Amino acid sequence: MGGKESKEVLRQPEAPARSSRRTRRELDLSVCPARVDQIHVSGLDRTRDDYVRRVAQGLFKAHTFQDVLIECNKARNHLIDLGIYKDIHVLIDVSRGPDATPNGYDVTFSGTEFPRLLGSVGTEVGQNEGSFTVELATPNIWGRGERLSLQGSYSNSKTSDVMLKLSKPFFHRELGDYKPEIALGLFRHATLMPVSAYKTSNVGLLGEFTFLLPFSIAHSLQYEMAFREVSTLGKQSPFFVREHCGPRMASLLRYVVSHDQRDSNVFPTRGFYVKLTNEYSGLGGNISYMMTNIHTEISATLFAGISAQLTSRVGYLQSVNKNNPEPPIGSLYTLGGPLTLRGFKFGGVGPHTDGYAMGAHSYWATGIHLWAPLPFNRYLGRFSNNFKTHLFYNFGNCNSFSSDKMRSAAGLGLAIRLAERARIEFNYCFPLLKQAGDRTHPGFQFGIGYEFL
Amino acid sequence: MDSVLLRQYVTEETIASDPWTDDALLYQPYEAEQILLAENASCLSVKAYLKMCNLPFGVKSAANAEFMSPGGRMTKLPFVKVGAFVVAEFEPIVNLVESKGVSLSKWLDEDQKSDMRAYISLVEKIFTCAEIYISFADDEVLRQVTYPRNGCVYPWPLNVFENIKKRRNMLRQLNVYGWGNMTLDDVVQKVAKCCETLVEKLGNEEYFYGNRPTELDAVTFGHLFTILTTNLPNNVLAEKVREYKSLVRFCQNIDKKYFNPQKST
Repeated sequence: MGGKESKEVLRQPEAPARSSRRTRRELDLSVCPARVDQIHVSGLDRTRDDYVRRVAQGLFKAHTFQDVLIECNKARNHLIDLGIYKDIHVLIDVSRGPDATPNGYDVTFSGTEFPRLLGSVGTEVGQNEGSFTVELATPNIWGRGERLSLQGSYSNSKTSDVMLKLSKPFFHRELGDYKPEIALGLFRHATLMPVSAYKTSNVGLLGEFTFLLPFSIAHSLQYEMAFREVSTLGKQSPFFVREHCGPRMASLLRYVVSHDQRDSNVFPTRGFYVKLTNEYSGLGGNISYMMTNIHTEISATLFAGISAQLTSRVGYLQSVNKNNPEPPIGSLYTLGGPLTLRGFKFGGVGPHTDGYAMGAHSYWATGIHLWAPLPFNRYLGRFSNNFKTHLFYNFGNCNSFSSDKMRSAAGLGLAIRLAERARIEFNYCFPLLKQAGDRTHPGFQFGIGYEFL
Repeated sequence: MDSVLLRQYVTEETIASDPWTDDALLYQPYEAEQILLAENASCLSVKAYLKMCNLPFGVKSAANAEFMSPGGRMTKLPFVKVGAFVVAEFEPIVNLVESKGVSLSKWLDEDQKSDMRAYISLVEKIFTCAEIYISFADDEVLRQVTYPRNGCVYPWPLNVFENIKKRRNMLRQLNVYGWGNMTLDDVVQKVAKCCETLVEKLGNEEYFYGNRPTELDAVTFGHLFTILTTNLPNNVLAEKVREYKSLVRFCQNIDKKYFNPQKST
């Protein structure tokens, strides 16, 4: 809509200058001088004026019409990021009136604000589970993008989540380009782990500060205080699980850095993605450990639509305070399953007692993939872009960073993209190397999730 | 499904009939800092019982003993781990020991046995409820003893949360047993009545059934001895029990014989 308006306006200054040549040719907008005289932001009811002021910053610096268009688009994205508008339109018009300059334009942003109360009900894909979610939110409470939301979800694997969160962005301040945002939340998270015969319930408080640094590196600094209780899944729970039972308190700092350059979250064909999570627990409380997790993905396009992908993940958890008991089983790692080491059962890699996974203090795992589109892809239409086939080789180990006693599996399969969020994999797996106690899953394996190895 | 249950039953039966192992462990909360009145009483009952059976066992203190327990009707404590078996509370432990061929009451006839079982459940119920009542419904004991002890293994603010949770659970349990609306006088009355019954049963004998100890002796000793020796800001229960001289003597005898054998020689 904005584009159509701008063409009409454009012809007028252009026509008298080059009236001799009436042939049609493309316009080079970058040489058309332009200046934004006025900016109107309409549709603001609850929002404070100063909250949208930064929208003017780039627009007033524009010198050519191309700049104006680019800045308009940026400003529109900025307004959407502010979280106040349900929808928004941009209108560019020549400026009129006594204060109008020769190449002056007026830019008008008009939109509708979010209502006081938003609600949504839906389904979501988690790591190897599907869940039903309900969300209730009041956006823009005090007029500067503050948002209070209540989220609940319940999954088919009986994981339940409730979170009450108040967030406040500071996009309107001087440092707004770095997207600083603070959030405070109360949460309750319950998980069932049948492979280790325990369930956990986490109730706590989360404070979060997120910001973006140059090179689009996203940072998140979090403080969490949580009551974590491990309990048995009935009489069959083995004794090592019982030793972890009971409520304990974690008070921890978490720092997450991520950088995403991939061309797609689900089926990347080039680019890389790194996510580094550091956790230090032990600021009060009686759970103390230091944890580091790294997840990387590198993809490269080869030929004929085929791409190669290398993924890897490393995790290391270390007790730091000897006065406190060992970290509870809920903090330990489990390895194996359709999202990590395919060809093994979920949590099937690593030490087991009485057939139950004991969890590991460290692990590393990698995956090498060759992705190819479906054969005869071009005749099948766009829908077939949601399917890909792959050959994979996974290998990894836990409680050891060496390749001794390594586990590995290879196979091939079909992957389906679910929107730009998640993917489903049907794989035929051949476990190649396994160790005593591991539980393998040769043959067909089904996986659903958003972060795979 | 049937076969799974059957298999589980068969394995449990085979494991249960294995002899008592030397590495048997009794799990309980920390005695000096943490344990509560009712828990201490049930732990002492089980210890007395195992000593009377002459079965070897080690005692292991764990801050989360209550949560490790497979569960039970009253305090969930103590629990014993014998081989692969984990069993909690007095009566299930007695049943486990009997399945291994050891019993204190083999020599009783059937009538006496059922009589004894009735006494055991009476003693366990009345004293445990009274102990829970004084610990959680008496404000002075609650603030000065129960809360600091129950919360001592947790960091702040988890201790506050756990104390409230524990109190709510315990008051609910009292309601289940019909003790919810009682006053302290009612509770003392109940204890006095139970003590009178026991005095009558005991007579002038050393144990309830003559000169050999039974399960009833173990459970009575555990509760009475704990009530007598625990110093609380509100000592009404101990004062009441102290009025029954023969029961005090009974406790001293068992304490000497099974817990301080060097003193009795």
